[in-house]
Amino acid sequence: MIYRVSHEIRMRYAKPVADARFNLRLKPVEWPGQAMSDYRLDILPQPAVRADETGPYYLTTTRLEYEADVAELAVSSSFTMAVEPRGHPGPTPAVGELRQLALEVPDLSVLSPAPYLFASRIAAANREIGEWAAQLCPPDTAVLDAALALADRLHGEFTYQPGATDSGTAPIEAFRARNGVCQDFAHVMIMGLRWCGIPAAYASGYLRTIPPPGQEKLVGADAMHAWVTVWCGEQAGWVGIDPTNNCLASGDHILIAMGRDYADVAPIDGTFVGAAPQIMSGGVDVAVIDPA
Amino acid sequence: MADPAADLFGPDPASDPLAHYSPAEPQADVFRAAQGPIADAWRNLAAGLALQSQGDLAGLQHYIDRQVEDLGLAFRVAGDEEERPWPLNPMPLVISAAEWSGIEAGLAQRAELLERVIADIYGPQDLIRGGHLPAVVVSGSPHFARRMVGLEPPGGRHLNVCSFDLARGPDGEWRVLTDRVRLPVGIGYALENRLALMRSTGGLAGRLGARSHASFFEALRRGLAANCQRADPRLALLTPGRFNQSYPEQAYLARYMGLALVEGRDLAVRDGRLFVRTIAGLKRIDGLWRWINARDIDPLHFDARSRIGVPNLISACEQGLVLANWPGVGVVETRAMPAFLPRLARELLGEPLALPNVATWWCGGEAERKRVLDNFDKLVVSSAFKQQVAGLEDGRTRVGASMSPDERAAIMAGIARRPMDYTAQEIVHLSTTPALADGHFEARGFTLRAFLVRDGDGRWVAMPGGFARISKSGELRTSLMGLGDHSVDVWVIDPEPPESHAEAALPATAIRREEGLLPAQAADNLYWIGRYGERLNQTARAIRALVSHSAGVMARAEGVTATTRLANLLRRWNAAPPASIKWQPIRLAATALDERAQPGSVRQLTGMTHDLALLLRDRLTRDTWRAINRPFPSFDAEDADELVDACDLIVERQAAVARLASDGMSHTAGWRFLDLGMALERASLALQAVRELVPGKASGEDLSALLDLFDCLGLYRSRYLAIPTIAPVLDMVLLDPLQPRGFAYQLAVIDRHLAALPPLRDDGLPETAHLLARNLVASVEAQAAQEIVPATLDGWLGQLAGLSDAISRSYFLQQEGQDSKPPTSFLA
Repeated sequence: MIYRVSHEIRMRYAKPVADARFNLRLKPVEWPGQAMSDYRLDILPQPAVRADETGPYYLTTTRLEYEADVAELAVSSSFTMAVEPRGHPGPTPAVGELRQLALEVPDLSVLSPAPYLFASRIAAANREIGEWAAQLCPPDTAVLDAALALADRLHGEFTYQPGATDSGTAPIEAFRARNGVCQDFAHVMIMGLRWCGIPAAYASGYLRTIPPPGQEKLVGADAMHAWVTVWCGEQAGWVGIDPTNNCLASGDHILIAMGRDYADVAPIDGTFVGAAPQIMSGGVDVAVIDPA
Repeated sequence: MADPAADLFGPDPASDPLAHYSPAEPQADVFRAAQGPIADAWRNLAAGLALQSQGDLAGLQHYIDRQVEDLGLAFRVAGDEEERPWPLNPMPLVISAAEWSGIEAGLAQRAELLERVIADIYGPQDLIRGGHLPAVVVSGSPHFARRMVGLEPPGGRHLNVCSFDLARGPDGEWRVLTDRVRLPVGIGYALENRLALMRSTGGLAGRLGARSHASFFEALRRGLAANCQRADPRLALLTPGRFNQSYPEQAYLARYMGLALVEGRDLAVRDGRLFVRTIAGLKRIDGLWRWINARDIDPLHFDARSRIGVPNLISACEQGLVLANWPGVGVVETRAMPAFLPRLARELLGEPLALPNVATWWCGGEAERKRVLDNFDKLVVSSAFKQQVAGLEDGRTRVGASMSPDERAAIMAGIARRPMDYTAQEIVHLSTTPALADGHFEARGFTLRAFLVRDGDGRWVAMPGGFARISKSGELRTSLMGLGDHSVDVWVIDPEPPESHAEAALPATAIRREEGLLPAQAADNLYWIGRYGERLNQTARAIRALVSHSAGVMARAEGVTATTRLANLLRRWNAAPPASIKWQPIRLAATALDERAQPGSVRQLTGMTHDLALLLRDRLTRDTWRAINRPFPSFDAEDADELVDACDLIVERQAAVARLASDGMSHTAGWRFLDLGMALERASLALQAVRELVPGKASGEDLSALLDLFDCLGLYRSRYLAIPTIAPVLDMVLLDPLQPRGFAYQLAVIDRHLAALPPLRDDGLPETAHLLARNLVASVEAQAAQEIVPATLDGWLGQLAGLSDAISRSYFLQQEGQDSKPPTSFLA
């Protein structure tokens, strides 16, 4: 399957702001089953400094610096992506076994389990969520089965409700209200898995916009999407699970970045001197250009 | 060599205040365990204190407290609004030079080890790949800054300053309890402890041969400067601001070491270089000693929500900025790390730890976990990364043996689910030291906080002694001082000091007369402390005038208008609410003096002055600081005499503050801004007072009230020998250039200061503010008193407001323009 993806972000400030600096996190990282070509990132106005960096988690950060005041910012990211469905990763270790395995991997890099085992800024440790998840993660269950069961429970108990939360809502609030958007679902699932000692990361990316004939459109396709990657041992590695759609992330999902939570991979943030901007809708389009 | 102190106090056992000191476990007491000359030093010390206090040891604490207060030595208990005086026990702790040299060597080795561990974590990560340090022990730390991996600090120094908490066991063996490398909280207090003791014990420390701290701070300064890119580097201390627990300490250190005290908003990064915004434009900073956690230091590279950091600071680091300590060093502070340090010492240094740390087991390892579970009752269990974890929700450590069955079950379940979150340690017992309590010596358990810095050559140098903490409760694991804790100065004593005191030869200091740079923020604060100070002074004068004039109302009918006009003036200044129009003068006066809810009340203005003074602690002289901090006078709100007395006191005190500032501060740009603020406020208030008191049919009483506000009633009477009339009064208070409270005089002062400030333009033309000031001066010089009408006053008031705006645009917020806000972060 080959997709053409485009993502536009526009922001307008009531008064031009000084000393504007931005981090964009829109360029896809390499990921098994994904092959990218034709990447374009157009930015208006032209920044004085523009540089790509990798990290600090599994992502590419584009840094922008402006010398002149900025009244409006328009960002357009587009690329072509060939995606191979990954299929089922096969048998995975039991939760109890995986726990100790994760502690023993002598690796601190961005794709090792160690960075994704602990509470992070948004995905803070929480007993309520932890105990809710722990029921589904007994030590003798295979870790992938446990994670899928958790996604299923999330999908069953929670209502997907755009606008119910925003990027500042704490996951525990969405958990208590049992509704939210993909970001909340992902955070709740990550918090539940980490509570049980299972490495879990926040995946940010896109979904195909128009479903194959005869299938329903996936939820979350109109904006950036979020799901969870779970470390399932050295063999299976990182496996993407989408609790919003209750499925494995495969074929229809295009991964851009992976971090501990949303804060690590937010598509844009920055600093400036002045009043906060009005953020206009970020249009996302994921079109199939070759269904082969 | 004879002990010189013995000659001073004599060996008379009857005069030995420690003779009756009897700790419960003598073998575990530092004094009882001391022998020979060190035991003599202890006795001489106690005898010296007794002599100093003329036998009243209980009074000594009181005396020390006064010294502490005079030094402005304060701290905040976390979550507290107010600062508290720093608690210092008068009785120091004595350590022999021989014992200290062992500690010093052990800590230097440990600092070196931590440096190597940090360098590996942020560099090749060989320790992790080789299995010597689990990756999880690194990633579990909230202080691990992944962004810093691969970024090497100038000179390879991640650490410039370290502190350690140590415990002395009952057997006399020292152990490291905690490594503190993020913020060396207490380093300034240690310095001030010594200063307070020196002041109150009359040179006792010197006579007993206690080592001094001076060269330690010089070493730190040179260590910071060593790897800067410029030969004569500019160094600054980055503070989170005055609400930080140790802000007073930071301000003190900055002043003591001659570092610019800056907040994040004072700084800007341009093209990979760090600058401070000063009144003379951007000035480069070469080295920064940060007192801000890495997480908050750069909103672009770390937490985007931080309001106290500097956007892009990390790119300045990439370009060679010296940042002490390097962001991310806190990764070695976790409780799990000491479990690995003994092994890492052998791996990295090829030698065992000279000074052991408390035996520690990290439950993430299978064998270690088993050992902990088998010995649970003999251990202390704690959160490995100081986070809230199941069973240890408050982050405190717990003794295995003293847990309830429920607590125990919760921790056991937590360890089964997430073993990496837990560590266990052996139980540490503390030695005791004699401390003064209510006039006699009592044994108290103590921990020692030691400080190490790198000198210019990169060698580790220890502050001789540091300070000790004593507590009744015995819980001494908190970061700074808890309520009821005391600090104790630590004296490292050479019983046989070397013949010549071999101080390291210091390089000659370059002579300078400028105070260094003046950050725009500090100039802004100085300007406003001048303005608020003058406003509270004038408000107190107006209140006083109101009370005096209203007292005569019954006798003289024309007093009524003066009273009304003064009341209007106080309302105009927001010292009294609009509703006060129906109030009795005395009620209005009491409100204007003491009502916190009234933004222009004397009480409120005093509070604002005090807040600004806290921010300017490094710039105000000690006497000025003390005068500003005098308590607000108390008075009976219904007693006119007491109200007048309170106003008198405030007026006198404000005069003292102004004079102490003008006499004590070097007359460089900082002082000019303070004086500028005062003059501008005085000019503005003068116009406003005339505006309220004169228009319409001003009576002699009204004009007398006006002259009273300007403190020139006597002068008028001696000059004119007549009832006040309008034109001569206006000439005196507005146009006479020699009347020091008058309007014209203030304009001359403003003109002089603006002319002397550093030029910002490069075309040689005067600054806008200066032009506006010249304009006003000319207009006032050309004005005849007889022709002053309300519109004249309003015109001048408008010009003054424009002048104040021009000053802040030019000098305070040059980057942002006038109505800017602090940098805001957002999430899309």
